[in-house]
Amino acid sequence: MSTDAERRPVADRVGRLVRQTLVATRGALTRRDGKAVFVVASAAYFLLYTAGLRNLGFGPWGYELSIVSDPLARAVQPVGPFQWESVALVVVGPVELLVSPLNVLLGAGLATLVGLNLAVSVVAWRGPTACRLGSGASAAAGVPGLLSGVACCGPTIVLVVGVQASAGVLTVFQWLLPLAVVALVGTLLWVGRKVEPAAL
Amino acid sequence: MHTRRSFLRGVGVAGVVGVAGCLGGDEPSAEESSNEPTATSDATGTPPPTAERSLHLAQDIGTLDGEVISGGVPKDGIPAIDEPTFQAAERASLDDGEPVFGLVRGGDTRAYPQRILVHHEIVNDTVDGDPVAVTYCPLTGTAQGFERGPVEFGVSGDLVNSNLVMYDRGTDSRWPQILATAIDGPLAGETLREFRVVWTTWGKWRAVHPGTEVLTEDTGYTRRYGDDPYGQYNPPGGYYASDRTLFEPLSRDDRAHPKSVVVGTRTADGALAFDKESLLAAGVLTGAIQGRQYVAVADDTLSTGYVYANPDGRTVENRADGYSLDGEPVAADSLPLERALAFDAMWFAWAGFYPGTGYVN
Repeated sequence: MSTDAERRPVADRVGRLVRQTLVATRGALTRRDGKAVFVVASAAYFLLYTAGLRNLGFGPWGYELSIVSDPLARAVQPVGPFQWESVALVVVGPVELLVSPLNVLLGAGLATLVGLNLAVSVVAWRGPTACRLGSGASAAAGVPGLLSGVACCGPTIVLVVGVQASAGVLTVFQWLLPLAVVALVGTLLWVGRKVEPAAL
Repeated sequence: MHTRRSFLRGVGVAGVVGVAGCLGGDEPSAEESSNEPTATSDATGTPPPTAERSLHLAQDIGTLDGEVISGGVPKDGIPAIDEPTFQAAERASLDDGEPVFGLVRGGDTRAYPQRILVHHEIVNDTVDGDPVAVTYCPLTGTAQGFERGPVEFGVSGDLVNSNLVMYDRGTDSRWPQILATAIDGPLAGETLREFRVVWTTWGKWRAVHPGTEVLTEDTGYTRRYGDDPYGQYNPPGGYYASDRTLFEPLSRDDRAHPKSVVVGTRTADGALAFDKESLLAAGVLTGAIQGRQYVAVADDTLSTGYVYANPDGRTVENRADGYSLDGEPVAADSLPLERALAFDAMWFAWAGFYPGTGYVN
C-alpha cells in the first residue's frame, strides 16, 4: 500500500509531463510549420476517417440536401461500435456526405489528437538531433482509429487484409477506437516531453 | 443512372408493431431459455404466422444457435424499412443490369432494388393487402419473402453461417433467413410461411412486368444508396465475386465455387440445389430428395428457375418454342406440377446449412 508521500511524486511527475506537453503543444501551434502540419494532418485524418465510415465518398453528379424527420432521436441511434446514425445527406457535385453529428464529433476529436501529435513531432524533428524522435510513432498511433472506421459492415476490411472474421476479430475491432485514443494521448505525452522549449 | 431525390426533403420514421396472433411454438427447454434473447420493450408477444410443417434442418437447433455470432452491428443497427414507398417503373432511374428482387402477389407487382436492400436487409411491407417481409442477406446472396401477420421483422445484428438472423418484434425469436426456422426464443423450431421472391435484373423485370412498382430511396433513413459496402453486381466484383467468405461456413463443400449461385429448395425431408448457370444453359435439370424426383425449369425472360416436385417422373423437355410436359406445351413458371419454393443462394451458404445436399449441374 503506497503512502501519500509516495503518491505525490508520481502525481508531480504526471503533472509535469502534462504541463510540458501543453507547453510543447502551444509552442508548436505558434510556429508556422507546426500550425500548417496541424491543420493539414487533422483535416486529412478527418476526411480519411469519415470516408472509412463510408459517410463520405463519390457518387453520381447532383445537388441534394435530405434531412430525416426526427434528427435528434436518430443522431443517438447506434449503428455499430462508436458509430451512430446519420441525420442528413448532402450531395454537392460528385461528393456525397452523410452527416452523423456524433461521428463528426468523434472524428474531429481523433483528428485533433493526430494533428497535435504530428505538429509537435515535426517541431521536435526539426529541432536538435537528440529530439528527432516520435513522428513515426505519432502517425502510427492514429491508425487504429482509421481501422475502427472501416470496421463497419461486415466487417469488409477483413477481406482486404486477408483475415477471416470471427467473434475474436470482431471484438478486437470494437476496441480499436478506444485503443486509438489511448495511443494518441500516450504518444502526444511522449513526444511532448522530448521537445526542448529552446527549440520552439 | 441513379435516383436523386428532391432538394431539402423530410423523410419518415419507423412504424409500430401491430397486434394479433397465430399459433405458438414448442416450449423451449431450460437450457434453451437460459440463452434466449431478451424480449425488447416493444415486443408484444404476438407471433408471426408459422407453417404447419417444419423444414428440414441438417443440424439441431441448439447446434445452430451455438454457431450464432455478432455481425459487428447492434440490434437494428441495420434498420429495416418499416414504411416503404413505391414509384412507377417509368419514374425509376435504375440501370437495366441492376439486381432487383421481384414479387407478384394478387394484383400487386413490386421490385425491390438490391442497392437499397443492401443497406436495410428487411422491408416490412403490405402487398395486395397482406403484411409481408421481403428480406435480403448480402453475405449469402439470398432474397426471400415471409408472411409476417401483424408483426414486423428486424435485423438482429447476428449472423449464422454468414446468413442474416432476423428477429420478430412480437416474440423476439431469432430466425436465420435461409432456414426460415427459429433457432432461439419462444418460437424455436417453428417455420415461417414463405413465398417466392425472384432475383433478377431491373431490365428483365420491367420487360415482363411493365406496370411494376419500385421501392424508392425514401426509406426514412439517409444512406448513400449507390455505395455497396461489399462490392458490386453490375458487373460482379468485391465480395460477390471473391472465392473467400467473411466468416467460416458451417461446413465446406468443394463441388462448386463458394460464390456460385444455386437455385435451392428444401422440404421437410431434405435439400437440393441446382447450379443456376447450368440450369439457364440447359433449360431443364432433374434431381431428387430422399428418392422423390424434382425438376428445375429455367425462365430465360427473368434469368431465374422454378423447381417442381415430379414424383411420377413425368417428362419435362426443353423445346425450341418453350417447354413441354409429357409432350404438352407449358410455361416455365406454371407447370401443372406441385411447385417447390426455391430461391437463389451462394453455394457456400447453401452447403453450409445443408451439408450433403443434392447438387445438380
